[in-house]
Amino acid sequence: MRITVDNLTFGYDYRTVLKEISFKMNSGDFLAIIGDNGSGKSTLVKCMLGINKVAPSQIFLDDVDVTNYKQFLNIGYVPQIFDDFNYEFPITVNEIIHSSIMRDISQDEILELLDKMGILELQNENINTLSGGQLQRVFIVRSLINQPKLLILDEPTVGVDRKNVENFYKTINSLNAEGISVILITHNIRESNANFSHVLSLHNGEGIIKEVPRGDEA
Amino acid sequence: MNVLAQSVPFILALFEHSFLRYALLTGLIMGGITPLIGAFVVIRRLSFIADTLSHFSLAGLSIGLFLINTLGYTFISDPLYLAIIASIIGALIIEILRGYYENYKEISMPIVMSLGTALSALFISLSGGFNTSIYNFLFGSILTVGDKYLAVMSTTAILVLALVFFYYRKLVIISFDESHARLLGIKVGRFQFVSTLILALVVSLSIATVGVLLVSSLMIIPVAAAMKIGKSFKNTIFIAVLFSELSVIGGLWLSYDLNIASGATIVLVNIFILFVVVIIKHIYTNQLRSKRTTKEDVGNV
Ligand SMILES: Nc1ncnc2c1ncn2[C@@H]1O[C@H](COP(=O)(O)OP(=O)(O)OP(=O)(O)O)[C@@H](O)[C@H]1O
Ligand SMILES: [Mg+2]
Repeated sequence: MRITVDNLTFGYDYRTVLKEISFKMNSGDFLAIIGDNGSGKSTLVKCMLGINKVAPSQIFLDDVDVTNYKQFLNIGYVPQIFDDFNYEFPITVNEIIHSSIMRDISQDEILELLDKMGILELQNENINTLSGGQLQRVFIVRSLINQPKLLILDEPTVGVDRKNVENFYKTINSLNAEGISVILITHNIRESNANFSHVLSLHNGEGIIKEVPRGDEA
Repeated sequence: MNVLAQSVPFILALFEHSFLRYALLTGLIMGGITPLIGAFVVIRRLSFIADTLSHFSLAGLSIGLFLINTLGYTFISDPLYLAIIASIIGALIIEILRGYYENYKEISMPIVMSLGTALSALFISLSGGFNTSIYNFLFGSILTVGDKYLAVMSTTAILVLALVFFYYRKLVIISFDESHARLLGIKVGRFQFVSTLILALVVSLSIATVGVLLVSSLMIIPVAAAMKIGKSFKNTIFIAVLFSELSVIGGLWLSYDLNIASGATIVLVNIFILFVVVIIKHIYTNQLRSKRTTKEDVGNV
């Protein structure tokens, strides 16, 4: 998916969080967003997702203004885990995944995804029995289930153990290699083996984007 | 409810008296759909909405009483219709206010609730103060429901069941994660609007069974108990309905045997079930925990 952010300024109530941010992404790009706590990383992706309402002509998804965009199904989103989440909801992993499916998909395909994320045996568990990292992996599967063209991952590996972090980035890298654009918010840019093409760093509301050489190995 | 001298046991009385059968049937229908709606409402942390709407229904009832008793209007045969209308108006006001206070959605409830309560107080006093009908509105009168009411109730129940059946998956996503539902292209606002309207209808109807002050407990207590033991969302709903039906049957039976108010008894049985579930769950988890610790201790040796 192609993304254009053009002079985006956004704030909550009276406080400006993002000031005149501009950058472009092509299909297949892999953007890492870094920045201190509170620098506006989550705010920025929520603007792209239409969760935060921005003024027209600031964000374009596949050349369509986000304020008119209808195909959010094309975007897989893993929200930051402690964002107003309802942990007490009595629901199983399967119920979460199945209720989110919006296309024809075989049972095998679902099982394969669950297996890739290492939560195959947790299918019928109630989410309030899961650890934070396991729950995060459920959300990762959910974000992948509708074959997105863009993946937005807000600190997706917080609380996930090292083995599964590795598996996760392997999956993300291979999806990216297939042409899916990825936006990843992270605090450990060096520790992850994600194969970025660009890095956007946010500081005091301003954003600086840099192209980075891609590693050969995924 | 001193309608009966309970000379015969409850079961036999059911065969003898049609009003008891009506009461049980209405109670069972009500008992089935309130937790069903409650499961979606409680979980969205909007428990307060049922209470708010019930106070608005009471305003409708009081206005109805005032029109019928004081002004002598006859075009409204039953103040219950006004309760339904008032409840729906309350639902609309809540929805409108929610749009105004994007970040403080809950604030619309106390506003609508105080409006409803104030209007009720006003029209109750205008129609001559407290009397039996007001008492019935507040605490229910399931033993006096007739076939007309039963028909309205059944229609509503069918409507609710059909909506939940056809839109189950979408309702689950919306309740669990609203912003994700939006991303999936689900018209969340539309669903919210329709469910508030249905909630309004059910709340005003349940007034005749357990009364304004107890309506919300029918929606919330069985779900609160079921959440403690439900394995999945479906399972939780199923258990909640089961608990709710048990308390309707148990409550009516007890109220008949002991000659006490039926609405209140149904709610008390509901609460009793909740307590039992919480206690059993507590004992069970403690046992599980101590078992686990012993295992670990053995492992460490
Ligand atoms: N819904 C909201 N209403 C008001 N202010 C908000 C809201 N969400 C975030 N903010 C504020 O906007 C600023 C940026 O928050 P944001 O969550 O985007 O930061 P972040 O870079 O994602 O931080 P972190 O690394 O902690 O996740 C913070 O000062 C935060 O307090
Ligand atoms: Mg964040």
